[in-house]
Amino acid sequence: MKLQNLKYLLAGIILTGFVSCNDDDDNTPVTIVPVPAPTEIDFSGTFAQQDQMGRAAINTVLGGTSADKNEFNVTIPSEMVDRFQPDFLNKAVALHAAFGAEYETNILGLDAQTLTTVLASDVLQVAPSVPTTYFDGTNVLTGRNLSDDVVDVSLILLFGGTSGDRFNGQTPETPILVTDNVSAGTGATGTTTFPYLVSPQ
Amino acid sequence: MKKLPKILIAGALALGVGAIIAADHLDAPAVGGTSADITDYFAFESAENANNTVFAANVQSSLAGAAEFDENVLIEFNIDNDGDLVEDRVIQAIPRDGKMYFFGPYEITTTGLNSTIDETALIGSVDISTGADANTITTAGGIKIFAGLRADPFYFDFTTFNAVVGNPAGPFTGTTGPAGGFQTAENASDPFEGTNVLSVVIEVPNGLLGGTSAHPAGTGVQIWNTWVEAKTKQ
Repeated sequence: MKLQNLKYLLAGIILTGFVSCNDDDDNTPVTIVPVPAPTEIDFSGTFAQQDQMGRAAINTVLGGTSADKNEFNVTIPSEMVDRFQPDFLNKAVALHAAFGAEYETNILGLDAQTLTTVLASDVLQVAPSVPTTYFDGTNVLTGRNLSDDVVDVSLILLFGGTSGDRFNGQTPETPILVTDNVSAGTGATGTTTFPYLVSPQ
Repeated sequence: MKKLPKILIAGALALGVGAIIAADHLDAPAVGGTSADITDYFAFESAENANNTVFAANVQSSLAGAAEFDENVLIEFNIDNDGDLVEDRVIQAIPRDGKMYFFGPYEITTTGLNSTIDETALIGSVDISTGADANTITTAGGIKIFAGLRADPFYFDFTTFNAVVGNPAGPFTGTTGPAGGFQTAENASDPFEGTNVLSVVIEVPNGLLGGTSAHPAGTGVQIWNTWVEAKTKQ
């Protein structure tokens, strides 16, 4: 998948340093309709985090040692940048060095420092008012559909360089790093009715 | 994407023996393959109603063998409304006797690694689905709920990935493509095709999800920051 059009779309976007305005949307209040909990069922207790996820593959690719990956899974998002961004940066540099290259500013105009800062906070942005997608040619990181190729998007942002196509087997010595060349499988096609995930195979 | 066979900097990129990992599928060693292993997370606009958002958390890939929800594991969707990356609202799901119980969305005051369940926020329960037929419930408040076995939506040439990064040889390690990278299209394969996961899916009217904040990447779009956690009873 290619993101050549993305750079034109985002040419005017200025990264604000990831400090969001507290700009509460004006949603009409709607309250949940609770039902009584069955008295014979025990829902009590304290539950301690074992795993978490925002965006696919981030911890996998950019995480450090096994101990680091374990620690990532029990770190709250607001603390992730401070703790893990330096490690993510080192890993992004090292991954390029392993192929005899240096990181090149990517198609969104992000240098390695900025990219790893964005990725270190492992949360998925979801938008109520625009189409939800990882990337559909227009919208960027507004959600994640079953069919979104998150692997290719992530590889392009990490290895694609300015063109988005930097390592794509252009010569016999150039590895393919911007795509795994796998398209959506049966489970990713989804259905149009709830629960949208496809029956087991 | 660690290495070519030359392993120039293996020391700096040590992933650890046995750390077979893909996209949080077969996750970090401490959680991978356990009943608290989150394999994937999706959030998207409902195809049935543009004013609703669907949250889907997948746990326990069939590649790891396990196939039942664990009554000690709480699945929790977290929603940050003001952009500080601290959750303001949660949706919780926990199984009891073959049914999945859903709570929320509701605002919380205690945030972080530990959670409790507010029973007054119970919105419904649904029989856990084990086969092709999906049991679903639509609650009085317009929330739709499902839990059970589904085809894994994830797709990735995992075996080539393990070879590219130089993971130890194992059942999911293959060979690299040209020049140590991924395969060409003719040779790529997807080991997740034909596999299943346990899914927890909830569709929620957007009005229940609270306020939004500006996208941290500066795109000008209003968003919720969201993530999913798996927590075990202490």
